[in-house]
Amino acid sequence: MKYAYYPGCVAKSSAPELYDSTSLVAEKLGIELIELTAASCCGAGAVNEANPFLNVLLNARTFSMAENLGLNILTICSTCQGVMGQVKWQLNSDPALMARTNEALSKINMKYEGRVQIKHLLWALIDDFGLSKLEGQVSRPLRGLKVAPFYGCYILRPPETLQFDDHENPTSLDQLITVLGAESVHYEGETKCCGFPILFVQRETAFDMAATYLNNAKQSGADLLVTPCPLCHISLDTYQGKSVKRKETEINLPVVHLSQLVGLALGVEPEKLGFSKHMVSTARVLRESLQLPL
Amino acid sequence: MTVLHLLENIKHQQDASLTFRRSCRSGICGSCAMKINHLAKLACKTRAKAEAEKHGEILIEPMENMPLIKDLIVDMSPFWREIDRNTPWLVWDEATRDSNRENLLTNEQQYISGKVADCIMCGCCFSDCVSRVFDKNFNGPASLAKIHRFVADPRDKEGAKRVHGLVEMGLWSCTHCYFCWSQCPRDVRPVAAISALRVLSMRSLDPSQGARHVQAFIDSVKKTGMLNEATLYLRTMRTATLKDLDLILKMALKRKAPSPFRRPLPRIEEVRSLFHLCKETAEK
Repeated sequence: MKYAYYPGCVAKSSAPELYDSTSLVAEKLGIELIELTAASCCGAGAVNEANPFLNVLLNARTFSMAENLGLNILTICSTCQGVMGQVKWQLNSDPALMARTNEALSKINMKYEGRVQIKHLLWALIDDFGLSKLEGQVSRPLRGLKVAPFYGCYILRPPETLQFDDHENPTSLDQLITVLGAESVHYEGETKCCGFPILFVQRETAFDMAATYLNNAKQSGADLLVTPCPLCHISLDTYQGKSVKRKETEINLPVVHLSQLVGLALGVEPEKLGFSKHMVSTARVLRESLQLPL
Repeated sequence: MTVLHLLENIKHQQDASLTFRRSCRSGICGSCAMKINHLAKLACKTRAKAEAEKHGEILIEPMENMPLIKDLIVDMSPFWREIDRNTPWLVWDEATRDSNRENLLTNEQQYISGKVADCIMCGCCFSDCVSRVFDKNFNGPASLAKIHRFVADPRDKEGAKRVHGLVEMGLWSCTHCYFCWSQCPRDVRPVAAISALRVLSMRSLDPSQGARHVQAFIDSVKKTGMLNEATLYLRTMRTATLKDLDLILKMALKRKAPSPFRRPLPRIEEVRSLFHLCKETAEK
């Protein structure tokens, strides 16, 4: 398995543990990642709100790079997945836009042919690697660990542009959690918005969203929460202390990246996976549920 | 059998007091909107068997974000109040209107505003809007989409002027959760209309924090090809950055505070060329 790897901006900035743990997981599973080091930011929905055509061009340029390598794109960020998936859908369903885009790309000697697939690590593990094969590689089953999946928005909606999981009743994260030996717990809010997109604009509203869903996950008995999106991670982990303060409650729910959870089950040491990098400590849950030191 | 058939059977055979709205039974009137297995849908368009197979049950509840009247009937006043906040009708531009004939849109113009013109005001998007749950000042997807329908209509006298004042109505409060897209029974995609309104607001030099955030994002990508989280944060939050000093310090101790200094990507000139091309296109 080989992919054109698109880690996105946050994994290379405020979430280094996501980048590092993905590299370790890929190495363990024999997945070859050819990083698109010259690919730009996907725009995260923000570029689209200033200049929709620029949003298309930036992503089409990335698609073109992957096509030149003859590889599909692997993302580790739901937001990148959502934005790129939507641009690909726009281009592939609108020949006039495709022609206009390629006319612009030709000025930088590039071309997008519409072939590339864009896959989140979660999807690649299920679709390409296979869950039964992954189960066979688990050396440290996460038995006794109750994990709350946080799907969020961009990996599920809009369904027309993503076409992977059932957006009404998603199971992909649950399947992965189960294969890793942990127990998946359900709660109201697992497919809702974490609040990140308005965190710097409507701070209190964003805090209320995050605190509500974190509290629901905690009440359902979760030991930790897993997210496929580093932006959700910022809202749910980095700002957890501040968001729950508004609710005058104590939650202390560790929030980890998808790749960290996989790495843990593959036997990688928590420290190497960056478990100490989170704002909400993961030490207690690692010690009490998995008897692992951090 | 649809969920509406199911409800009618219950009403006729088991409990005549069960109360719900319905009329056309064809997905046109929008009366029978309700939450079915946690998501707002039209009961008349929703297959009961498919719901039961997918979820193992059919949980039926009244819509959210509106007060309950009885059983499955909600008071839709909050929804209508938000629609009414920005002249939800065409204000004819008499200077260009030809009173001797029908003033038709071209196919392309119809396509731009046509999606929203398909709205049947069922309230599904309003019910499932995550922002509205937490922010009652956010006027919701249907209302903003309705505004875009007239902004995109060249016959409307107000046109782009309708964008003024939208910041106070919550233009930047939408999180892009896409529930309004996925749950709309008419495929109106209000979130796309909201994005289009934000583009117009940016063009009219919107000074709000939301617009500042987008501009800082764009500038960062233009400069380095990547998002610079530090400068994005500082330019959006300005002095409010002080509120998060503790957090920034904690991140620095964990060696994950984003640096304001970021090297441009390899081949950054290609990215800048695309920016330049888009600027030229916009000017034309």
